[in-house]
Amino acid sequence: MSAENKPLPIIEVVNLKKSFGRIQALKGVSFSIGKGEIVGFLGPNGAGKSTTLRILSGLIPADAGEAKVCGVDLAQEEGLVRNHIGYLPENNPLPEDLRVIEYLRFRALLKGLEGSRLKERIKVVLDICDLERKISERKIGNLSKGYRQRVGIADSLLAEPRLVILDEPTIGLDPHQSAVTRKMMERLRGEVSFLLSSHILSEVEACCDRMIILSHGQIVAEGSLYELQKRFVNKTIFQIDASGNKIDIQKRIRSIDRTCELIQDDPVEVSGKRRYNFSTEQGEQIAERIIRTLLEEKNIRISGFQIRRPDLETIFLRATKKNWEKHDFLNRNKI
Amino acid sequence: MKSFYTILRYEIFALFISPSTYVAAFYFLSLLAIGFRFFIETFSNTDWLLPPLSSLVVGLLFGSPALIPFITMRCFAEERRLGTLETLFSAPVSSWTLVLGKWFGCFVFFLIISTLALCYPLLLIIMFPEQGSNLGFNEIENWIGSTLYLLIFGATFIAIGVFSSSITKNQMVAGMLTFTLLTAYLSIMVFSFGNQTSNTYYTISQKLSDGLFGTYINGLDKFGQFSVGLIDLSTILNQLVLTIFFLILSTIQIERLNN
Repeated sequence: MSAENKPLPIIEVVNLKKSFGRIQALKGVSFSIGKGEIVGFLGPNGAGKSTTLRILSGLIPADAGEAKVCGVDLAQEEGLVRNHIGYLPENNPLPEDLRVIEYLRFRALLKGLEGSRLKERIKVVLDICDLERKISERKIGNLSKGYRQRVGIADSLLAEPRLVILDEPTIGLDPHQSAVTRKMMERLRGEVSFLLSSHILSEVEACCDRMIILSHGQIVAEGSLYELQKRFVNKTIFQIDASGNKIDIQKRIRSIDRTCELIQDDPVEVSGKRRYNFSTEQGEQIAERIIRTLLEEKNIRISGFQIRRPDLETIFLRATKKNWEKHDFLNRNKI
Repeated sequence: MKSFYTILRYEIFALFISPSTYVAAFYFLSLLAIGFRFFIETFSNTDWLLPPLSSLVVGLLFGSPALIPFITMRCFAEERRLGTLETLFSAPVSSWTLVLGKWFGCFVFFLIISTLALCYPLLLIIMFPEQGSNLGFNEIENWIGSTLYLLIFGATFIAIGVFSSSITKNQMVAGMLTFTLLTAYLSIMVFSFGNQTSNTYYTISQKLSDGLFGTYINGLDKFGQFSVGLIDLSTILNQLVLTIFFLILSTIQIERLNN
C-alpha cells in the first residue's frame, strides 16, 4: 500500500507529556494504532498506562504533545472524541442500584442513541457480551465480578465505537470469564480497534496484534510478539526430551554448535524422560542439524524436540528492567 | 440538551429508588402536617400578621435543613464513592450539564414534596370551604407569592446541597455540611429580620446595594411582601445569582476532580 492510500491511524500520539505535581507520569510518549488493530498496553504499576488511556479518552488533558483519536485533535476538541470511542475505566465502576438493562439504556441515551437504534444496539451488545436476558434484569450490585465486567464492556460497545479503550479488562476474572472477553474481541477483530492495558501477559499475548511496553512514562518497546522476541531475547532456546547421558548429549550438541549451552545443570524429569534446555546464539537454523546428529547417536533416544520462544513475561521483564533501575519514585532519572 | 434530560431522568429515578428519600419525605411531611394543623387551630389566638398560608412556607423553609440533605447528599458523593463519575464523563457530557441535571433532578423532588405540603391547605379548602375562605386560603395572590418565594429559596438550598455533595465522597459528611450551611444561612436571615430601615432614609447607593445584595440576609423581611402577593424582583435575582454561584462552584469542583 502506498503512503498516500494508507488509511489514517485511529490513534496518533506524538510526544505526549503529563505531570501530576512533581511526578512526571508521561515523558514524551509517541505511538500510533491502525484501524482494526488490537494493541496491548503493558507496563509496571505507575508506568503511565492509565494516564495515557485517560488522555486518549478525553477525560484529562495532556500538558504537551499531540494526540489525535479517530481524526479528532484532543487539544482542540477534547469532548468530541467521546462520540467515537468506548471506554472501560480501571476497576469498572458501576451504579449498584440499577438493573443491567436500565443502566445500558441510560448509557445509550447519554451517548445519543434513541428509538429503534437504541433497542437494537442494547440487544447486540448483550449478545456480544453473553449477557442473557435473566442477567440483564438483575441489579448490578448483585452481579459477580465477571458479569459486572461484561456490563462495562457492553457499555463501551454501545455506540458502535471505532475505538474501544479497555483499562485492565480482565483483572480479577477467572479464566472462563477472561476467555469471554477474548472471544468478544476476536468477534469484533477488524471492525473495531482495541487498545487494552493489562498485567495479565498471557492474555495480551493471546489476543493482541501488537504490544506497547511502557515504563516510567516512556515507551521502552513496541511491536508484534515476534519482533519483541527478536529484539529482546538474542538466544534461541531448544527443549530436548531424551534418555541418555547428559554429558554425551552436551558433547554431541557442542560439536555442532560451540555457542550452545545447557541452561540448568539438573534436567527436569518428564514422564520418565529427561528434559534438557539449551540456549544458542546461532538461531533456529541450527535446530535441524542438532536433531539429525542426536538421532544418529545410538545411546541417545530422543522423544521430543522443541524450539522454545521466549514468552511475553521474559520480554516484559527485560524491556522494563533497565528503565526501572534508572528512575526514582518520582519518575525522575537517578543521578 | 438531550444529555441534560437523560441525567435529569436518571437523577429523579435514582431518588425514587432510594429508601432514604422516602423516609425523609415521610417524616418531614408528617411533622409539617402536625405543625400546620396545630397552627391553624390556634391561629386566632396568635399575633401572626401574615396570611396563614405563609406559616406552611415558613415551616417548609425552616424544615429544609432536615429535608434537603437527604435529597442532595448522594448526588455527587455517591458517584465519587463508587467512581462512576469517570464512567459518566467517558460519554459525551459536560461537567456543567451534569451539575445542572443533578441539581434540577433534586429540585424536581423538592417540588414534589412542596406540592404535597401545599396540598394541606387545598384539602382544608375542599373539606371546610367556609373556614378556608375565612383564613384567606382562597386568595390566589397569596398562593403565587408564597409558592414563588419557596421555589427561589428551595433552588438556592438545593444548589448548596449539590455543592456540599461535590466536595466529599462521604454521603454523611455531605449531608451534615448541607445541614450546617443551610442552618447558618437561615440563622443569618433570622438575626437580620426586622433590621431593615425604611427606604425613605436611604441614600441612592444604599438603595442600590440593598436592591442588589440586601435580600441575601434580609430574605425573611421580603417574605412579608411575597406572602401577600407582592413580588420583589431583586429577591428573585439575588437568589438566582446565589444558585448559579453554587452551581458554578460545584462545576469547578467536578472539573478539578476530573483532572
